[in-house]
Amino acid sequence: MKLSIDRERCEGYGLCAESAPELMHLDDEGELVLDHDEVPPSAGPAAESAVRVCPVAALKVG
Amino acid sequence: MGPARPTERIVVVGASLAGVTLADAVRRQGFTGSLTLVGAEPRAAYNRPALSKGVLDGTATDADITLPPLTCDVDEIVGTAAAGLDVDRREVVLEDGRRIPYDRLAVTTGARARRLADLGAADPGVHETVFRDLDDARHLAAALRGRPKVVIVGAGILGMELASVCAASGAAVVVVDRQPPLLAQLGRYLSDLLADAASAHGVELVHDPAGVRLRGTGTPVVELAGGGRIEGDLVLSAVGCAPNVGWLARTGLLTDGGLRVDARCRAAPGVVAAGDVAAFPVPGGGHRRTPSWNSALEQGRAAARTLVDGDDAPALVPSPYFWTEQFGLTVRICGELPARGTPALLRGGPPSDGALLRWSDAGGGATAAAVNTRMPIARLRALTRPEPVPLEVQR
Repeated sequence: MKLSIDRERCEGYGLCAESAPELMHLDDEGELVLDHDEVPPSAGPAAESAVRVCPVAALKVG
Repeated sequence: MGPARPTERIVVVGASLAGVTLADAVRRQGFTGSLTLVGAEPRAAYNRPALSKGVLDGTATDADITLPPLTCDVDEIVGTAAAGLDVDRREVVLEDGRRIPYDRLAVTTGARARRLADLGAADPGVHETVFRDLDDARHLAAALRGRPKVVIVGAGILGMELASVCAASGAAVVVVDRQPPLLAQLGRYLSDLLADAASAHGVELVHDPAGVRLRGTGTPVVELAGGGRIEGDLVLSAVGCAPNVGWLARTGLLTDGGLRVDARCRAAPGVVAAGDVAAFPVPGGGHRRTPSWNSALEQGRAAARTLVDGDDAPALVPSPYFWTEQFGLTVRICGELPARGTPALLRGGPPSDGALLRWSDAGGGATAAAVNTRMPIARLRALTRPEPVPLEVQR
């Protein structure tokens, strides 16, 4: 399972990072950083919930 | 109220952004009792702000605007509106007669388009067209293919976004209001900026301080109080929204026809409300509905915490965020609106090439706006704080 960001859409709300802090964070500029190219199976639900809470659908999992 | 027990039943009435966010957040807060979400629209929740933008201009598909489905354990009742509330028996009464018992209730029934007829400003028999849901957006998109002359009553956010898409589709557009576009919503500077952009795109802006009346039958003629008539193939009313609280009549929950909440989104013991339906406390006293996407999101989350943690939940301190796209300008704003006075230009030049504006307020804070500039919200919000603006944003 992989996570990807659509940079054009991402506005840096940070709700995803709140949902899945083990997978991503906002840097000092407020930009989202994915900390793992590959989502470990144990973090699958966290990844899905991060995708779900993104208000601008900038985060994809696949 | 105390923390929710696992045996309790939470019912959320209203399944648009606030309701879906609230239901999801209730589970994420660890609530393990029964959770029911009731929605009137016969389809999955979607992103309403996109209706007057991408949906109308054809660049967004239904899939693009549909909110991701809830994956938590929730009983969803879709396509059925709530008709009433029995507060003594603690039951939501659905329009089909079903009764849904609750221990804790969330009201997220949103708002509906206000009509000039509601304001007594339309002849009986006038066919008044409004713009609120996906069906409205589809109807207007179809009508625009015939290159109609469009008259829009109301130069607020919605009216101006509609004007932008209509003009881009090749329609002749007139927008009528009591005052200059967006003045009340955004303040003079942004009002001027967007009005100039609208005029440059061929939109005719008309204002009459005494307002208008819809005359005739069928497609109305817009009559200005000061004299003059504006005719169009299509007349749209974009004059704000009214809260969906009819189903709460005679429950004792309403004050002056509105549903007031406190800073924890509590409307009554065991009852919370969030989103367009809720009148939230205003600094300095009073209550006001803040019908915006951002409010639905943050109130939905705050109300969920209150339902689950009870009175121990934190009060919501709103972080106002707003955006609009019209006439080639995308404006994102953090902070209180309308913004008064002349902003400092942190990054100047023609706004269409990107500008960053900051209005200082008396309290030491500020409102910040980014025009045609992509900027993470955290950076825009940082500009609303009292401390001096860091140099790096001025790059």
